[in-house]
Amino acid sequence: MTNTLVLPPKPRTWPRNVGVVLALAAMTLLTTLPRLGGVEIDLGSIARNWSNAAERIGMLLQPDLSILPRTIEPMFQTLSMAIVGTVLAAALAIPLSLWAARPTNPNGLTRRAVRFVLNVVRAVPDLVYATILVAMVGVGTLPGVITLILFDVGIVVKLVSESIDSADSAYMEGGRAAGGTQTQINKVTALPQSWPVIASQVLYSLELNVRISAILGIVGAGGIGRLIDEVRGFYRYDALSTIIIEILVVVLIIEVVSNYLRKRLR
Amino acid sequence: MPERTPHTEVEGAESSAFVAWPIELDGVTVRYPNGVVALNNVSLSIAAGEMVSVVGLSGSGKSTMIRTINGLVPATNGTVTVGPHTVTTLRGKALRELRGSVGMIFQGFNLADRASVYQNVLVGRFAHTATWKTMLGMASSEDREIVLRALDSVGMLEKVWGRAGALSGGQKQRIAIARALSQEPEVMLADEPVASLDPPTAHAVMTDLERINTERGLTVLVNLHLMDLARQYTTRMIGLRAGEVVYDGPATTATDADFEAIYGRPIQSRDRLGK
Ligand SMILES: Nc1ncnc2c1ncn2[C@@H]1O[C@H](COP(=O)(O)OP(=O)(O)O)[C@@H](O)[C@H]1O
Ligand SMILES: [Mg+2]
Repeated sequence: MTNTLVLPPKPRTWPRNVGVVLALAAMTLLTTLPRLGGVEIDLGSIARNWSNAAERIGMLLQPDLSILPRTIEPMFQTLSMAIVGTVLAAALAIPLSLWAARPTNPNGLTRRAVRFVLNVVRAVPDLVYATILVAMVGVGTLPGVITLILFDVGIVVKLVSESIDSADSAYMEGGRAAGGTQTQINKVTALPQSWPVIASQVLYSLELNVRISAILGIVGAGGIGRLIDEVRGFYRYDALSTIIIEILVVVLIIEVVSNYLRKRLR
Repeated sequence: MPERTPHTEVEGAESSAFVAWPIELDGVTVRYPNGVVALNNVSLSIAAGEMVSVVGLSGSGKSTMIRTINGLVPATNGTVTVGPHTVTTLRGKALRELRGSVGMIFQGFNLADRASVYQNVLVGRFAHTATWKTMLGMASSEDREIVLRALDSVGMLEKVWGRAGALSGGQKQRIAIARALSQEPEVMLADEPVASLDPPTAHAVMTDLERINTERGLTVLVNLHLMDLARQYTTRMIGLRAGEVVYDGPATTATDADFEAIYGRPIQSRDRLGK
């Protein structure tokens, strides 16, 4: 080697990094000041309530399996809520996704309208939907299913339409040059083209649904959550532990199956 | 394999009733929203059944010109006439119907790769099909027949149920030609149809286009940037430079000097495809 490499001067990044760290530290400090209405983090309470917690943890560690037969029906209810919710949500989400993406809906007005409504739908937490719907249509699985549909449509449409937006859509011009309407082009070419991402997001929403519908019962929206609410009310932490383990197993099974199916879609 | 009626019968009936369309540009200017003037006061007329190449460097306005003919790009000024239609005045349904009569193929094929070959060719029937029928997936037996016949005519019938994305570049361009043919068009436009293909495949696709002109009698307008393809396959050549027509004459006898005038520079080896 004869001549040494001449590097351009490296930009200095440490002043920026220090600034970011300082800003984060200041924010953390300010938000925990009680005077400013910040969150109060009382680590002492953990120590004070320790005997209480230890007792309950002890109960959780000895699951009471006698509750198992009673969990079967609500567990099936939870699963069917999740599946029905996913199927109905998919039926709504597919046309909405095409309307929310630019290549499949060149009309800016309707596209923005769909996106706006879905942003609002997504902004509301699922438990808020469940609580309001229980008050409106009564206790049971119906408010649970509607909650799941609203939640699923929100995320599926967002993820699918963003993927359509970023995918290559040169094939659209082929349909346009042949004199097709946008609806014809969407049905025959855009739908098969987006099918893998639609199927993948729908399966993902099924996974989420099983998890969410397990707790929706706490606010009266049906399923295993109702049983959780009941045993917790009676301080039966040993029975609660059995239910939690059961939910864990079901969620894991659904996740493994869905992951397998989604891999096969690629 | 679906049933098919004998070939000769229908083809004979088609050719007796078939009349190709002329194309006419009158003072056409295209200015894009960003201010680029891609076509500047272009006037030319192409007779029904002619096979014409448009030659020019990249950026000379070839794609823009071909797209004004089916209204994919609106003309800022001037008139485009195709057969009985004044393209520049058409909107909505009337414009879609005109496009139904004008087949188009592209450099990048513009196929839906994940859809089947059959679905991709069915796209050519859009202008002849009510939207609600397409929504319900109801292709008429006539449409089906036309699609299969178009695939057969480019030698791709055996791939009909396969995915378009699984094919080679040359096969994809054949599918795109079948899509355009299933429109049963009066005019065929081709925007650099062989620019992404290897030389033997390029010649095969150019031969397909030549046959569409000689056997079916369609008016064919093909954008090319290679001089030897223009000379070999077309009878008339239009040279574009910076959005203006700088040559309009026979293709076969165009001299190297003519090409240098169109390109605005000496000829280089990349201006030829070779064998
Ligand atoms: N959609 C567009 N918006 C703005 N400018 C464009 C657009 N399409 C093409 N142009 C410009 O118009 C000129 C002609 O382009 P084009 O018709 O694609 O030429 P060619 O097909 O001969 O390469 C070029 O300068 C190009 O940059
Ligand atoms: Mg071009």
